[in-house]
Amino acid sequence: METMKESQQNQGIDLSDLGIMDLAQAEFYTADGGFTGLKYKGEDYKHIVLRRIMPIDQPMNYISIADHDNKEIAILKDVNDLAKDQRLIVERELDNRYYSPQVLDIMSVKDKLGYVYMEMRLRNKQGNEYDKSCAVKDVSRNIRMLSSNSVIIFDVDGNRYVVPDLQQLNKQSLRKLDSYLF
Amino acid sequence: MNEKSGSTKKASREGEEIVQLKEPVPGYMKAAFLASGVSVPGLIYAIHTDLTLEGDFSDVYVAVDNSTLYILYGLEEVVKTEGARRIVSQYTMKKLETYPLADLGELKTDKLLSTCRLVSVIGEETEEDGSSDKKQKDKSEEPKEPAIIEKQLILLFSLGLLGYVDRLIKVVKNIRENVDPLREVVVDDSLFCTKCGTRYPEPERKLCPKCTDKMSIFFRLLGFFKFYKGKVAAVMSVMLAITGLSILAPYVGTAFFIDEVLSPDSSWYRMVGIAVLAIVGIRLLNTGFEMLNGVVLAKTMPWIIYDLQLRIFEAMQRLSVGFYMSKRTGALMNRVSRDSRNIYWFFVDGVPFIIVNVATFIGIFVVMFLMEWRLAVICVVIIPVLAFMYRILMRIFRRFHHKFWVINSQLNNMVSDSVNGQRVIKAFAREDAESKRFSNLSAKQVDVDVARFNLGFTAFPLIFMCMFLGQTIVMLVGGMMVIRGEMSLGVLMAFLAYLNMLYGPLDFLATVSNWGSRCMDSAQRVFEVIDAHADIVEPENPVMLPEMKGAISVKDVWFQYDPATPVLKGMKLEVPAGQTLGIVGKTGAGKSTLANLIARLYDVTEGSITVDGIDVKELSLSQLRSNIGIVSQEIYLFIGSIIDNIRYAKPDATLEEVIWAAKMASAHDFIVTLPDGYETRVGAGGQELSGGERQRLSIARTIIQNPKILILDEATAAMDTETEGKIQGALNKLQTGRTTLAIAHRLSTLKDADMLAVINEGAVVETGTHEELMRKKGEYHKLYAIQMEGLKVISMD
Repeated sequence: METMKESQQNQGIDLSDLGIMDLAQAEFYTADGGFTGLKYKGEDYKHIVLRRIMPIDQPMNYISIADHDNKEIAILKDVNDLAKDQRLIVERELDNRYYSPQVLDIMSVKDKLGYVYMEMRLRNKQGNEYDKSCAVKDVSRNIRMLSSNSVIIFDVDGNRYVVPDLQQLNKQSLRKLDSYLF
Repeated sequence: MNEKSGSTKKASREGEEIVQLKEPVPGYMKAAFLASGVSVPGLIYAIHTDLTLEGDFSDVYVAVDNSTLYILYGLEEVVKTEGARRIVSQYTMKKLETYPLADLGELKTDKLLSTCRLVSVIGEETEEDGSSDKKQKDKSEEPKEPAIIEKQLILLFSLGLLGYVDRLIKVVKNIRENVDPLREVVVDDSLFCTKCGTRYPEPERKLCPKCTDKMSIFFRLLGFFKFYKGKVAAVMSVMLAITGLSILAPYVGTAFFIDEVLSPDSSWYRMVGIAVLAIVGIRLLNTGFEMLNGVVLAKTMPWIIYDLQLRIFEAMQRLSVGFYMSKRTGALMNRVSRDSRNIYWFFVDGVPFIIVNVATFIGIFVVMFLMEWRLAVICVVIIPVLAFMYRILMRIFRRFHHKFWVINSQLNNMVSDSVNGQRVIKAFAREDAESKRFSNLSAKQVDVDVARFNLGFTAFPLIFMCMFLGQTIVMLVGGMMVIRGEMSLGVLMAFLAYLNMLYGPLDFLATVSNWGSRCMDSAQRVFEVIDAHADIVEPENPVMLPEMKGAISVKDVWFQYDPATPVLKGMKLEVPAGQTLGIVGKTGAGKSTLANLIARLYDVTEGSITVDGIDVKELSLSQLRSNIGIVSQEIYLFIGSIIDNIRYAKPDATLEEVIWAAKMASAHDFIVTLPDGYETRVGAGGQELSGGERQRLSIARTIIQNPKILILDEATAAMDTETEGKIQGALNKLQTGRTTLAIAHRLSTLKDADMLAVINEGAVVETGTHEELMRKKGEYHKLYAIQMEGLKVISMD
């Protein structure tokens, strides 16, 4: 029976040079100054950039790791494959880069001269809750359905707020948001 | 040329219809040729054109038999008989010209601005007689004497008839080649409506504005309701109930209340409470029915429109590229969304209310006649007069409204023009001139607006006055009848109420006819798209290759988008499997057309294109297209995420395959820097990407498709040098192991091709490797030298 790899090679696809990280040779660490560093295949990268290839669907899979000059070093297939201490370093770096507090409650939504002003109750990764007022322009682009049940909101300052599950929002909040969901 | 001029023969053909379908020589032309002494049984094909060589309008019949071309000039006399059929009653011949085919050279058409000429060319070396390679060879061997070219003008005709003349030329060519004269010639193609003889406004669109049966369109539209019979029946029943209650309400509120409840002689006397309760009850029931109707309607109509839109969209997917490219259908497509909206509103807001209003109208008259026929007769006289006045005023009002609309759109265009062209306006200091231009047009709008308001403020009070006069007549006659005791007061009051109720349906029915026409017009266009046939269809028994290798052979291919304007003229090319052929040539030489023909987006006019020795027309269309990847300058990204766009050619591709393809296309690095990575939304309304980024995504899409044949159509033409370098690298990776046709202006990008072909005016003029062609010092050498010279000038700057 033809193996998956053979089949892909027959089709002209060769995934061997995809650059998937060899975890045995990788060691993430926190460098001086708080940056995340990586020792990989004999090289020491003191400041690496972690980017999610699929930030919405697979936030903890397929993480592109690049050096300070944006040259890709490798792709980390699954954050959960890392040892706990390593995973925490990577998760912290990803959380910082993809900072997007969760929307718990929408207290008010007002449409004024093409801007939508929102007052929301948010929770960050650390579990802290706080109220935030923001303005959103061009709502069709900046209030977006991520899936059939999750929403992302971008405000004029470039901040991102996520509603991971619309069903978890209370009815009043959902009603306020509903007319902007396309 | 032989000519019989001055003889006036009349070919009387009473009762013969102007159009006979599927006749290569229509009957009325046969009669005319017979009357002018031509042997009719030998005629093979005939067409009807419209100009003399001097430019006078005439009815010109052009026919051909096995040896001669006949041109008959004359004038038709057309009569219309019962049933509005157009009959040519008489043809007055003015002149017959005969051209023996043996004396004629190659027939060609020569396009002018609005007319076209049929020309016979003798002695000119034509593209199909000898390839350009042969020309080159001849030139190099010995100096050839210039060929004696003899050109003769045969016919002049309007440009719109070019397609018909082109078919005649094809027939002549077939006769000369001793093949079936009507091979690949459309016969069933008339300029005139088969029913009434009116000329079609657009020859390609066999649609007669006079004969379009609007009722049949309406019934076809009703066909969309067949899945919702129950709901439609419910809507109708509820509407009729509403109508019945509306008619009952004034009777209870006036005649019954005054004549029964307030009359001491009646058994209902003093039962005011019950009467009021009855009135309220009727009103409540009516409201309930209206709400129920709205709910059922809301649940039915959107689904019917869904069906209609889906049918239109599916039909659009089925159609060939040629359909979309023609100007006619371009406009048609733009209107499809508006048309389905027109139909929607007519069926949601129009049809239900037509039923209600017609039923109300009839119901009221029936009740009126039952109550007091003499007074009802007066109403029968008044109402048509009012309806007529109303219609006239509305027509005038619409005319003003249209004028206002036209000026308003001109104003909008001007504002948009001015906003977009601000840099130019300021650069030329034309601010004041632009303001003046706007002021002039705006003043026109003021004039139309003043007239429109004047009409509105005078016409409508007049109409209300007429309505009031109608009521006074009924009051006068009815009042006298009440005084004389011939009628009760309640009946008179009910009559006046019914008269008021009639004005609503009157207003609605006076305007709904235009609305209906607009809807039927929209429906006609929609059905035209649904009924259109695709030019490129899957063969009946398609050949499925076990494995496509990708050897391409282009054999003497002729192709034209428009009649008589060949783009490819006898093109010949061979590309062995797995090799790269670079195609060079000037803009408009036919390079992209060749790519379209290999992918069978169009079919060749003559000749054939084979892949692995099989004609593309015989190959399975899906196998052919899935094995051809096109990367062109024209990049289209669909609305969706980057990953969806890359996966477009292979929806089941894994994420790793997508990443691999993106890396191969040098797209991965820029994709991961986007905030949403591969989930970034692109296409209309999505993330803006540069031309180079979009191009790299389209290359990734083609890589994942993994085609056997790769067509690179000016893939890097619009890129800067750095981006081009990146893309060129991606393309080089992509070409490995595939048959590649690389089309490019920049010759430097094609230097490494296994073979180069130089195309000029639709034919291959040189083939060879870069080195061979440079040594040959022909067309390629010339183009290369020009480009190198250009680069030198740029580097000097």
